[in-house]
Amino acid sequence: MTALWQLTLLETKMFFRDKLQVFWTFLFPVLMIWLFGSMFENQAPEGFSFASLYIPSWIGVNIVTTAFFTLGTVLTGYRETGVLRRYQSTPLAPWKILFAHTIQGTVIFSFSAVVLVVFGTLMFDLHAPVYLGSTLVALLLSILAFFPFALFLTSLAKNVGTAAAISSLFLNLMLFLSGATFPLEMMPDVLQYIAKILPLYYVIELLRATWNTSPIWENWTPVLVLSCIALVSIVLSSVFFKWSGKAE
Amino acid sequence: MEDVIIVRSLMKSYGTKKAVNNLSFSVKKGEIFGIIGPNGAGKTTTIEIMEGLRKKDSGEVSILGMNPEKERKVLNHRIGVQFQATSIQKKMKVKEALKLFAAIYNKSNTGDEMLKLLGLEEKMDTYFDDLSGGQKQRLTLALATLHEPEIIFLDEPSMGLDPHARREMWNIIRSLRDRGTTIVVTTHYMEEAEKLCDRVAMIYNGELRALDEPSRLVEDISSHFISFRSPDFPVGQLHQIAGVIDVEHDKELDAFKIYTEDLQSCSYFLFKTAHEENYHISDYKFERGTLDDLFVHYLKGGESA
Ligand SMILES: Nc1ncnc2c1ncn2[C@@H]1O[C@H](COP(=O)(O)OP(=O)(O)OP(=O)(O)O)[C@@H](O)[C@H]1O
Ligand SMILES: [Mg+2]
Repeated sequence: MTALWQLTLLETKMFFRDKLQVFWTFLFPVLMIWLFGSMFENQAPEGFSFASLYIPSWIGVNIVTTAFFTLGTVLTGYRETGVLRRYQSTPLAPWKILFAHTIQGTVIFSFSAVVLVVFGTLMFDLHAPVYLGSTLVALLLSILAFFPFALFLTSLAKNVGTAAAISSLFLNLMLFLSGATFPLEMMPDVLQYIAKILPLYYVIELLRATWNTSPIWENWTPVLVLSCIALVSIVLSSVFFKWSGKAE
Repeated sequence: MEDVIIVRSLMKSYGTKKAVNNLSFSVKKGEIFGIIGPNGAGKTTTIEIMEGLRKKDSGEVSILGMNPEKERKVLNHRIGVQFQATSIQKKMKVKEALKLFAAIYNKSNTGDEMLKLLGLEEKMDTYFDDLSGGQKQRLTLALATLHEPEIIFLDEPSMGLDPHARREMWNIIRSLRDRGTTIVVTTHYMEEAEKLCDRVAMIYNGELRALDEPSRLVEDISSHFISFRSPDFPVGQLHQIAGVIDVEHDKELDAFKIYTEDLQSCSYFLFKTAHEENYHISDYKFERGTLDDLFVHYLKGGESA
């Protein structure tokens, strides 16, 4: 087995060995949907069901939590405890490490998305995406934008504490300002403008659109924004890859 | 034998702190080369510069004829490293770590012979986090050697090992050497330096203090000393004896240790003074220092210099 595949497999296995992380990743979003569902189920705009708007949103939120916590914070921890340093003296290339974690994150995210869809279908009559192909491409694009973005941002942190703080800040900011949890229209104009500079806003827009109303090629604004973020952060995260938090 | 490691005038500073200061030495193929020195002497910095993990400020480093900073990728296939302070993933099992590292080096075997020697066979399904300190150390040694590298760098490999395990590790290191592997090892244990290493570099404050075979180092005249007890000999007077390098005085026991370049004339002076002044001397001995003494001695030299 190649090192890349071996590392991906091991990292995925190790994720499932951490029960607390599994709970946080898989059950927390379900609980949130349940909570918000019981509050807002009957307030969905004309022609939409609660589930068809908010399940895609929470799937988007899950990309962000996976990116920042399953990937970013964990890698910062590896940097702090010397796990990456151990690899530095082996022939294992940095891109393989990033790639392995990206695949691992994608697998874990896919699980959590399936959990949400099943839950939504059973509890809130969620319908399947209208443009399934577009939805899948939208998910892929969002992953490509967010995973390296989070990997780069958290690599700026010297330790896990700081990385977790950066991650929580981003997550909370985006949770409340991107329309994932409640309708943006309920918020003041200023906040609605701020929402539009947060990347999660575009993920959610794209996911909701492809799930309900239009295929991906009719949503060029979010596609363009996310592609740019993907490109820039893939370059940044690999060029500025750090093996350890200390001075060389 | 050819030199597989050459270090010349190596310098490395962190801010104003000179971690490595004008260090030069070379290591021959198939040698066990020890680097000893107190905490903060620059051992880890030196070894990690050789591994290409830290950048030198100036000087010359050649490992297997390569520049470790520029050719680390090629070099990484040919060297093995055990770090002083790195870990592997907490939730990774021993056998998983071995498989992963075998895959990284494109090897199909995980060095089973070595695992038997290291007593890790029963621990294959244990998480790294659940291993004892010494077991972790053994695993990281196994990971450093499983691809049969030409040079192995070990940064304090016996830290946390019990005396029995330490001896077993020495045997493993010796058998690696007998296969032609070159080993660079840092340690705090003088016994280890004395019994394991073919040659030892002693560094202090980033500077080279001594470099030789351990037996020759302890043969060094300055490691010989005179010990005796006396309730009334004034310490100040001892310092004035010609050739005296250092005097240690234990007030509780009235015990003296005198390091000197000339044992004979020092003795003569001691007894002459004692006779004239009516001082009492007992338990008089010529002693040969161990590396431990030498170590302390060189440190003192460093402080006064
Ligand atoms: N990344 C770093 N940043 C700043 N200073 C450093 C760094 N690494 C080492 N130093 C300093 O350089 C000096 C040498 O450190 P080094 O780790 O090489 O010592 P050592 O001989 O390995 O000590 P020990 O026996 O405790 O492991 C120390 O004074 C240390 O504080
Ligand atoms: Mg050290």
